Amino acid sequence: MTRIEHPAPPRDPAEVAAEAERLEKVWESPKGWRYWSDVNNSEVGLWYTLTAFGFLLFGGVLALLMRTQLAVPENDFVSAEFYDQLFTLHGSVMMFLFAVPILEAVAILLLPEILASRDLPFPRLSAFGYWCFLIGGIFVCGSLFFDAAPTGGWFMYPPLSTDERSAGIGVDIWLLGLSFIEVASIAAAVELIIGVLKCRPPGMRINLMPLYAWYILVVGAMILFAFPPLIAGDLLLEMERAFDWPFFDPARGGDPLLWQHLFWVFGHPEVYIIFLPAIAVVAMIVPTFAQRPIYGYTWIVLAAVGTGFLSFGLWVHHMYATGLPSISLGFFSAASEAVAIPTGVQIFAFIATMLLGRVIFSVPMLFVTGALAIFVAGGLTGVMVALVPFDWQAHDSYFIVAHLHYTLLGGMLFPMFAALYYYFPFVTSRELSRRPGVIAFWLLFTGFNVAFLPMHLTGLLGMPRRVFTYPEGLGWDGLNMVSTVGAFVFALGVAVVVVDMLRPRGRQPYCTRNPWNAGTLEWLTEVPGKPWGVRSVPEIDSRYPLWDQKDFVRHVDEGRFFLASAKEGKRETMVTTAIDAEPIQCLRVPGPSFIPMVAAIFIGGSFIFATFAWYWMAVASGLLGVAAILAWLWVGTAEIPEKAEKAVGLGLTLPLYASGPAGVGWWAMFITLLGDATAFAGLVFGYFFFWTIHDDFPPALVQADLVQAEVGLGVAWPAAGVALAVAGWALTVLARWGNRRGAIYAARLVLVAAAAISAAATAALLYAPYAAGLEPTAHAYPATVWILAIWVALHLAVGVIAQLYCLARSLAGRMTAAHDIDMVNTALYWHFMAITAAVHFAVVALFPLAQ
Amino acid sequence: MTPRKDSLWELIAGPTIWSVYFLVAYVAAAIVCAKGGDMDSLRIAILGLAVAALGAIGFAGFDAWRRWRRGHEAAPPHDDDTAMSRHQFLALATLLLCGLSFVATLYVALPAAIFASCR
Amino acid sequence: MLRCKGRRSKVPGGRRRLLPASAALLLAGCGGPQSALVTAGREAEAVAGLFWIMLGGAVFIWVLVIGTAVYAAYIHPDPHRDRVARWFLLGGGVALPVAVLTALLVYGLLLMGSLRSEGEGLRLAVTGEQWWWRVSYSPEGGGDVVHSANEIRLPAGRRAELLLDSPDVIHSFWIPPLGGKMDMIPGRTTRLVLEPAEPGSYRGACAEYCGASHALMAFSVEVMEPAAFDAWLAREAEPAAAPTEAAARRGAELFHDVGCGACHAIRGTPAAGVIGPDLTHLASRATLAAGTLPMTRDALARWITDPQAVKPGARMPPFRALGKTRIADLAAFLAELQ
Repeated sequence: MTRIEHPAPPRDPAEVAAEAERLEKVWESPKGWRYWSDVNNSEVGLWYTLTAFGFLLFGGVLALLMRTQLAVPENDFVSAEFYDQLFTLHGSVMMFLFAVPILEAVAILLLPEILASRDLPFPRLSAFGYWCFLIGGIFVCGSLFFDAAPTGGWFMYPPLSTDERSAGIGVDIWLLGLSFIEVASIAAAVELIIGVLKCRPPGMRINLMPLYAWYILVVGAMILFAFPPLIAGDLLLEMERAFDWPFFDPARGGDPLLWQHLFWVFGHPEVYIIFLPAIAVVAMIVPTFAQRPIYGYTWIVLAAVGTGFLSFGLWVHHMYATGLPSISLGFFSAASEAVAIPTGVQIFAFIATMLLGRVIFSVPMLFVTGALAIFVAGGLTGVMVALVPFDWQAHDSYFIVAHLHYTLLGGMLFPMFAALYYYFPFVTSRELSRRPGVIAFWLLFTGFNVAFLPMHLTGLLGMPRRVFTYPEGLGWDGLNMVSTVGAFVFALGVAVVVVDMLRPRGRQPYCTRNPWNAGTLEWLTEVPGKPWGVRSVPEIDSRYPLWDQKDFVRHVDEGRFFLASAKEGKRETMVTTAIDAEPIQCLRVPGPSFIPMVAAIFIGGSFIFATFAWYWMAVASGLLGVAAILAWLWVGTAEIPEKAEKAVGLGLTLPLYASGPAGVGWWAMFITLLGDATAFAGLVFGYFFFWTIHDDFPPALVQADLVQAEVGLGVAWPAAGVALAVAGWALTVLARWGNRRGAIYAARLVLVAAAAISAAATAALLYAPYAAGLEPTAHAYPATVWILAIWVALHLAVGVIAQLYCLARSLAGRMTAAHDIDMVNTALYWHFMAITAAVHFAVVALFPLAQ
Repeated sequence: MTPRKDSLWELIAGPTIWSVYFLVAYVAAAIVCAKGGDMDSLRIAILGLAVAALGAIGFAGFDAWRRWRRGHEAAPPHDDDTAMSRHQFLALATLLLCGLSFVATLYVALPAAIFASCR
Repeated sequence: MLRCKGRRSKVPGGRRRLLPASAALLLAGCGGPQSALVTAGREAEAVAGLFWIMLGGAVFIWVLVIGTAVYAAYIHPDPHRDRVARWFLLGGGVALPVAVLTALLVYGLLLMGSLRSEGEGLRLAVTGEQWWWRVSYSPEGGGDVVHSANEIRLPAGRRAELLLDSPDVIHSFWIPPLGGKMDMIPGRTTRLVLEPAEPGSYRGACAEYCGASHALMAFSVEVMEPAAFDAWLAREAEPAAAPTEAAARRGAELFHDVGCGACHAIRGTPAAGVIGPDLTHLASRATLAAGTLPMTRDALARWITDPQAVKPGARMPPFRALGKTRIADLAAFLAELQ
């Protein structure tokens, strides 16, 4: 790599000013009602953050209602039924509508600025994710006001959640509403992973990357492997609820424990998915107030990556009391203890940084210290409950309630409050008040500990979780009263923060630029803020460029780095390589559009209609959603630029179009498909899980119904299906090859053939279980075979749409031999489909023969 | 010396080996305990696999250590804007992750050494 | 907190309305009939011991870590030497945790093995149902199975094995003073071994959320001297005594006429229902409706009148239509089922 000499020499100020004006125009948000069509990360990130914060307040009010009910024994402030709705929604809202979304929200808001990028690579995807989140969140929360909220607990264990007597529509609202939001989370993960790997500023090698980006990279990868199993579980549970497919009904070969596995293989990594991005903010705040670089950077990277891996070996520690063999519990106990090592290392690195620096007192730092005090306590009780024998006592008692709130509030909420005080000037150009901040901190810190510290004891005195009342005289009365008082003190603290946040500050003067004297790129932000993110995308030589690079801010402001202008009137950002951040492309990102919102409304509609079992409406809405997404792809992606290359400044010329692994779209497809494959793996896990618990699988009852002599599904039709699917894949790859070689017409013909054969594959795979006479409501075996067939068939159907889309793009002249992003990505999709179909065949057709 | 091209896949070698080991041990134990099987062979297999995994992690760690030591910079923070600094940072991070994975693999092998039945 | 550590010698009984001042003071500490800290069984004692050790260690580590943070940020904010930070990170953040966690893990695994070792002799089958407990005893050395409900009696000093399951939703069986909990999962049978040490009255409860009245699914626990236990079991196996009091005799007829026997069994009478709890020796139990009400005539009447008012979602229909007098007769009958 040749070193880029920087900055560029100074230019005529008038020219620079004209450039700035044009750049501002390009990045400006639309005015009036069109404002809501904006897709830029600053706006979407802000809406996302505020919405998630709103859900936090809602979830908090639910908690206060619960604490009021539990203040005294045998209270009748709320009914048992309503209390069940309260704790179910409190957990679900805090986890799915606050903790996970706010990390995505803050990342969307901050990550591009921390990387001095103009935007994330897929702004419309962020907007789509936001609208999904808003619609799903309101749907789930709104159920409370119609007395239709779910009552199954945030873990929604069957058979309670499939019990007709106790589980009403609330469970469907929960399943479909939250599945919808999970899709949005995965979209955000794709965006953030590529944002970190491909959208760093030139020169920001991987060893110079801010720790926040490291954490977000790890968390993105974790979301990719943690959320899909839950989506698979949601699918199974909803199929049982809606169509009586007995996945979790032991009377018909199902098993309630399958749900627990699928739920917790999501649920435990999720705790770290919440914790890591919040602790990432701490990793940004501590160096600023210690006024020195972070100590133990490599150790913190170890912690982030190590935690990401180990957190997938913990899920059974939520199932210690389910009677699994000791040796199995032992594995998970071991991993649960091991994960404490990386978790601890990063805390020690932060404190070591504080030891080495000259620490400045500030409200964010106060919250950081409080967060450490609370989180370390939660971590220590976590080490305790990771030991199986102790957990047998503590599990499902108030000890766990205390433990999880210590970890989540110390590991997530207090850091988020620190982030609020730290980044408020970044967003609004004005600081939050110091004195109310200190008062709020002490109210929150005191209230929290008064509420939750006694709960450890309450739990060890035998009080189970999720009880709407308790008898007097068991030693719990006083402790509960204290907890309730603490909860209200805490709420008062939240109120102080909210008032300070929302009070009008029109007359308050702007703060100085970079008010905390931080060293990282997000503090390049101007006061008052400009829509472009950074005036010019800088070349980076240090982990703390604002501290280390001479006259850095001035050079950025004078447009002496990359992309200082927007001559063609397009929104542009830099794409760089993953390891050394060498510039490889100037990426055009799409501007404001209502299409993401429309797509979210229709897709959301299909989930919501399905809740009420209005299936035709759901299908219609879903088709409209697919149409909206196709329209979005058609007009907004893989556009052929008016020229091949562009001079981006500092003497560098970059291509405007990149297909294959060099482009961001290919990576988005690849990463999405990894997540998708994980969901499929979740379903396959279900198949083998049933095999382990049954002596005969496929079971005899299915075999008895067969006309043929084959076992279960038989081999002929699945074999036909998989053969056709592989043929569809081969033809797609051939079409890509031909298209690239300029054989456009031949490629079009091959695409037609590929689509026809792939459609036939879809039909054959669906016909297979039908031909075998498998009745999905009879037993878990046919239900599992059916769900696998449907899953693969649906994916093949999407593959057919992709093939036809390529054909249409080719006919419309939007895809050519040199500009073949659509074709390359479709081929990538089909690589995964070929593997999926082959695995499907091996599992449902070949495996039964092998026994 | 010009450092060779680095990749992020190397970085996660240690934890990946741990993950595979963990998954195989868990699945094997689940199947043996559910379907009935010889517990002694299971334990020997899990412990044998642990030795193999520890060896692989140890090798990856040793390789990372060698790469790290051969660099120009004597110690962290490895925060220079040079290919060497980046190379040494990745080597050190790989080494640390191998250390963690080594401990985690030892931990996961413990239950197989302790429990003689599926109870 | 004097009474926090160790085994209990004598503990307050089941569900008491009013507590003497001294007992209240005790309960404000670590005691109580459902406490996992003042223990009465081998399993719970081992776990409580582990807890106190871990608590001590945790407090020490917390003070060390947070003390350093507060010191670095507020007490002495000026820079320290590199060596201090390096030793803090490597010693405190790496070496210490690895050593402590290794020791804890090995101890925890060994303890789990010993807590799960086989029971001897007495077996209980306990079924968790929404929202009560079906219990049956299989005595040592064979003998008839004895059916009961909502009460667990165990002999002190013997390892009893409990087989747990559920016909409806997941429940979890937990007697904190005796040992840890175990889930009751439809379609599976789980096991729990308990070795009570101290005779006395305790309380257990369902720990897994199981629907509207999860909070009202408890049971009384009596740990007895082995001889007393054997005598009790023999008595429990006998059929119900005939009603004596006039009201009770009317109640017995009413029990039959109303059809209570469709759901409840009273051995020695035609009532042989299996949907609800066995009532043969109902009045000998400490509580009514799975630990929800005291075992008094008033409470019995209240329960029969409107079970849902006591326990939301309960399956037993309300018998308000019978009128106060007849319900009082029924209660009188049931109160004699010693």
